Amino acid sequence: MKLHAAITVLRPRDEVQRLWQDPALHPRYLDEIDARVTFDPAPGDRGTEIHVTLEHDAPGGKVGKAVAKVRGAMPRAKAMDELRRFKQRVETGVIVRSDGSPEGERAERKLDQRPAQPLHENELAEAGAS
Amino acid sequence: MRANVWSGRNTVQVENVPDPKILNDRDAIVKITSTAICGSDLHLYDGYVPTMERGDILGHEFMGEVVEVGKGVGKLHVGDRVVVPFPIACGDCWACRHELYSVCENSNPNAGMAEKMFGHSTAGIFGYSHLTGGYAGGQAEYARVPFADVGPIKIEDDLPDEQVLFLSDIFPTGYMGAEFCEIQGGEVIAVFGAGPVGQFAIASAVMLGAERIIAIDQYAYRLDMARNKAGATDVINFAEDPDIVEQLKELTGGRGPDAVIDAVGMEAAHGHGVVHAVDRVKQAARSESDRGHALRDAILACRPGGIVSVIGVYGGLLDKFPSGAFMNKGLTMKSGQCHVQRYLAPLYEHIRNGDIDPSFVVTHRLPLGEAPNGYETFKHKQDECVKVVLKP
Ligand SMILES: NC(=O)c1ccc[n+]([C@@H]2O[C@H](COP(=O)([O-])OP(=O)(O)OC[C@H]3O[C@@H](n4cnc5c(N)ncnc54)[C@H](O)[C@@H]3O)[C@@H](O)[C@H]2O)c1
Ligand SMILES: [Zn+2]
Ligand SMILES: [Zn+2]
Repeated sequence: MKLHAAITVLRPRDEVQRLWQDPALHPRYLDEIDARVTFDPAPGDRGTEIHVTLEHDAPGGKVGKAVAKVRGAMPRAKAMDELRRFKQRVETGVIVRSDGSPEGERAERKLDQRPAQPLHENELAEAGAS
Repeated sequence: MRANVWSGRNTVQVENVPDPKILNDRDAIVKITSTAICGSDLHLYDGYVPTMERGDILGHEFMGEVVEVGKGVGKLHVGDRVVVPFPIACGDCWACRHELYSVCENSNPNAGMAEKMFGHSTAGIFGYSHLTGGYAGGQAEYARVPFADVGPIKIEDDLPDEQVLFLSDIFPTGYMGAEFCEIQGGEVIAVFGAGPVGQFAIASAVMLGAERIIAIDQYAYRLDMARNKAGATDVINFAEDPDIVEQLKELTGGRGPDAVIDAVGMEAAHGHGVVHAVDRVKQAARSESDRGHALRDAILACRPGGIVSVIGVYGGLLDKFPSGAFMNKGLTMKSGQCHVQRYLAPLYEHIRNGDIDPSFVVTHRLPLGEAPNGYETFKHKQDECVKVVLKP
């Protein structure tokens, strides 16, 4: 089964491709799941489209798939997380964090939001935000 | 610090919570001096917006003093007095570069959630559910403000808080609603809802040169404010006569208003019997139905070829959308959470010039600790309430 994930980053294609290879920015999860990645210029002033094709979705057959789905850990959702983080870091220089999602966009957080109130000291380091 | 948190339908309470911290380089921390309750907060309070969690700090209309800045913040300094816009916007994405701040592509770290609801993610918003990011809000002593260089506007003169606070939301929102109407001079504009947002839509339509402005509400005291303070030329009280569309035709020689502004949103009252009953039942059953009387009447009343400006907030799906009237009359609809950042500088200038004093909407001033009373008073329109300002 083929799954597709895509995002558009507001930078020229050569720059996006170069930053994609930068070890500090490179989305490693996409290597782990053996995704195919292509870069296309977007029309007009819209930047560069990154297209990701996932060759297989959840490992572990039907049961694994169901488990992964329930836990919100579907590879496509995680691939989108990685694409969003890449876009955020390229465009804004930071990972966007909230009180509800202090680690930034994460599929696993969708069903497990913190309340929207500031973190305790011990949670800060855990979220990678201190 | 102390903060006003959501703790279930129709319940908010002021609690002790941790102080906010800088989470990344582009953040600032603001010590809040004034914060307000908005009609949008009522949608959360009433339980019509999904993805609320117990303990969520509410509030998206606030101002105060910068007390800490991250390493990547250049324009703001400790000690600056700022008003903070309610949408969080990065300033760097395609949407922000095109001044579409409320649909910033980067500021919502729960974009995946929003995509499921709306097809796409929209900007993060302070204190406004997890669908718009899960950000702690500003009905508190302090708030963390992400992308601090992009949103907050510095207030350099000694205007009191109440004159500039509403730059955070309702003044720009009302202004955007009026701007959508493409006023050239000579128009008749109908404004549904004479709450704080409607008041600023009316005042803005006056500033933009509309000739007649008709305010519509069910509360006489709000219509009095619309006429005496905001500048409405006519009013319709639908508690007295529910046929708003017919009254609008009468007031416009049968033509209908050139543009109509919906400043009511998903909890509209009244409407005509059967449809209203259906809406109520579906909303009570939480089957994601918005109550659409104002929007339906707005579409039916608007003159052919006119503009329908929707700044009242909707959340889910709407039944009985008058698509026939909308299409056959050739109407244009424009909408959105306000792109506040776009309007800050020009509207601040209007306030400084004395063209408008936005504090006219304030009816209630309470300490933060009394936020729960404030919500009840505002929700039930008790004690002639129009706008509540809280003091932390
Ligand atoms: N687009 C934005 O960026 C933005 C920003 C702020 C607020 N809002 C929205 O604007 C709306 C109004 O906010 P507010 O603070 O003025 O709230 P509010 O509750 O004080 O005002 C709403 C008014 O509408 C009136 N009303 C109810 N049903 C009506 C109907 N069928 N026809 C005409 N009037 C009717 C009510 O009597 C009330 O006076 C809300 O939906 C709020 O969420 C949008
Ligand atoms: Zn508001
Ligand atoms: Zn942006």
